[in-house]
Amino acid sequence: MPDLLEIENLRISFQKGSVVNDVSYSVRQGEIVGIVGESGSGKSMHALSIMRLLPTGGRINGGAIRFRGKNLLGLESEEMRQVRGRQIAMIFQDPISSLNPVYSVGFQLTEMLRRHLGMGRVQAIARAAELLTLVGIPDARQRLNNYPHQMSGGMRQRVMIAMSIACNPDLIIADEPTTALDVTIQAQIIELIKRLRREFNLTVIWISHDLGVIAGLAETVNVMYAGHIVERGPVHAIYKNPHHPYTVGLLGSMPRLDQRTNEKLVSIPGRPPEVINLPGCVFAPRCLHADQKCRAEMPPVTQLDVAHQVRCWHWSRVAAGN
Amino acid sequence: MEQPKTLVDIRSLKKYFPITRGIVFSRKIGDIRAVDGISFKIFEGETLGLVGESGSGKTTVGRTLLRLQEPTDGEIIVRGEDFLRVGGSRLKKMRRSMQMIFQDPHASLNPRMRVEDIVGEPLRIQGGLSGKDVRRRVAKLLELVGLTTETMERYPHEFSGGQRQRIGIARALALNPSLIVCDEAIASLDVSIQAQIVNLLEELQDRLGLTYLFIAHDLSMVRHISDRIAVMYLGKMMELANRDEIYNAPLHPYTRALISAVPVPDPDVEATRQRIVLEGDIPSPASPPKGCVFSTRCPMAKDKCFSLVPEYREARPGHYVACHFA
Repeated sequence: MPDLLEIENLRISFQKGSVVNDVSYSVRQGEIVGIVGESGSGKSMHALSIMRLLPTGGRINGGAIRFRGKNLLGLESEEMRQVRGRQIAMIFQDPISSLNPVYSVGFQLTEMLRRHLGMGRVQAIARAAELLTLVGIPDARQRLNNYPHQMSGGMRQRVMIAMSIACNPDLIIADEPTTALDVTIQAQIIELIKRLRREFNLTVIWISHDLGVIAGLAETVNVMYAGHIVERGPVHAIYKNPHHPYTVGLLGSMPRLDQRTNEKLVSIPGRPPEVINLPGCVFAPRCLHADQKCRAEMPPVTQLDVAHQVRCWHWSRVAAGN
Repeated sequence: MEQPKTLVDIRSLKKYFPITRGIVFSRKIGDIRAVDGISFKIFEGETLGLVGESGSGKTTVGRTLLRLQEPTDGEIIVRGEDFLRVGGSRLKKMRRSMQMIFQDPHASLNPRMRVEDIVGEPLRIQGGLSGKDVRRRVAKLLELVGLTTETMERYPHEFSGGQRQRIGIARALALNPSLIVCDEAIASLDVSIQAQIVNLLEELQDRLGLTYLFIAHDLSMVRHISDRIAVMYLGKMMELANRDEIYNAPLHPYTRALISAVPVPDPDVEATRQRIVLEGDIPSPASPPKGCVFSTRCPMAKDKCFSLVPEYREARPGHYVACHFA
């Protein structure tokens, strides 16, 4: 059986240069895949391209995105509309700008139920209330009449999650869904996703800059830097046995709440490039291990074991240094 | 150990924002109690972390502390002098010793001013320097925060977020302050850049003997940088203690919930830890709950909590808490 989603050598560019380069990975049914990266790493852009929602100016230059074996990049826009929301749903970072302020949440929820699933009005309202209850919103019936501004940030994100699961999609892409929320609310949302996943066997791509959130949720982690997946593997391998200097640096620059050392944080010097046009490894300008070879040529994907991959010339030295 | 010297002593500080109705004949119909009677001290040379969720009033504390907003009530004693009673030239002088680093380095630097003018402005207005002296001092300050002197001629938009934050730090340092209020100073930066800025702040503290009030919502970073930590909720101080005590032996149920909500970048820890998930949202500061402000979300709340405001008291030496059952 093929994987639910297979991305192969995806390339995306804007006029100023390429933003996603040679990204390949796959998502199995029922899995939570975490994607970690800083701003400009291409993590959001590649997610938007799965939905074919790239902003104007963005072009997919090559590669394939296969969903259930079907290449999404070859679909007509009408066919693509059947996929969006119905088969693949997306949760965005900022629920206030992804909900329409002039319609009640009930209207927005029932609209998609009626459009995609062909439900009647009464049936759709009942189902919408059911969905809100499912995501932990009390008094769901009354809440349907609320407008987005009448809800708190956490509530709005729950509504977004309710919308995303409304059509029982095969895949949910969550792009920094908890970044705009307070920690106690973030904890609520994470617990909610875990529960829904157990109940409905959801498949999720969870994009975040927070290594802590990913550690508790994902089974597989992709670390992205400047448009490339620099390391990919099971969550345990990435956190306990990282082989890429960027992964090592990211883990070192995050202080941990459960441990306190008086040492300085290991910071990564410099900053991420805005567009990638230089030859060589994208991380070389900030890397402590970089040498001539790194500046000349982007390293290939090295398969460390069945699931763990890294793109670094000096991975053995990096791993030994941990 | 010698007794630490108090730099700032804050006593029952209150800041209410009026809610008005009507445009022509506007009348007050209530108050937003952003900060509702909090007391704490900031010691010389320490970093005091101030944490809380959005709406807890932590930013308002920082702003009223510098009198960027006039408090409604309370006292702020800076080195024995009542900061709220001074005016005129004395106020101007006292303000030199207290500076602020803002959250958003895009919004807090004037896009039409060159770096030299941004960092040099306090020197001209407050420091009485001019011409070459300003240039020389600005060059020194930029070097101190890790920027080259060539950057003086450039405009803020030419810099990345991390570099812009460095410019903001240079400006805050211009007048040799003793206290710097860092209001979410690293929140808008990428993880790898955050570590750079935090390291820089720590280095500057060692070199210049600065005192920080570090306001943030990121508890892991606060634990890393702070000596003592204060936890706020809905305009009230919930708990204050030294940083290891806050994490190892928190007394307030809110502090416990907050700590348990923070994800740890370690899959083994995440898989086994028990999380206290708080129900609901933070209530509106316009109508805070009666009794303990946390009672509506507290997993341990009893009848008493809904009617009686808990006293903010010293439960152990140096460890303050506001809870009936701590």
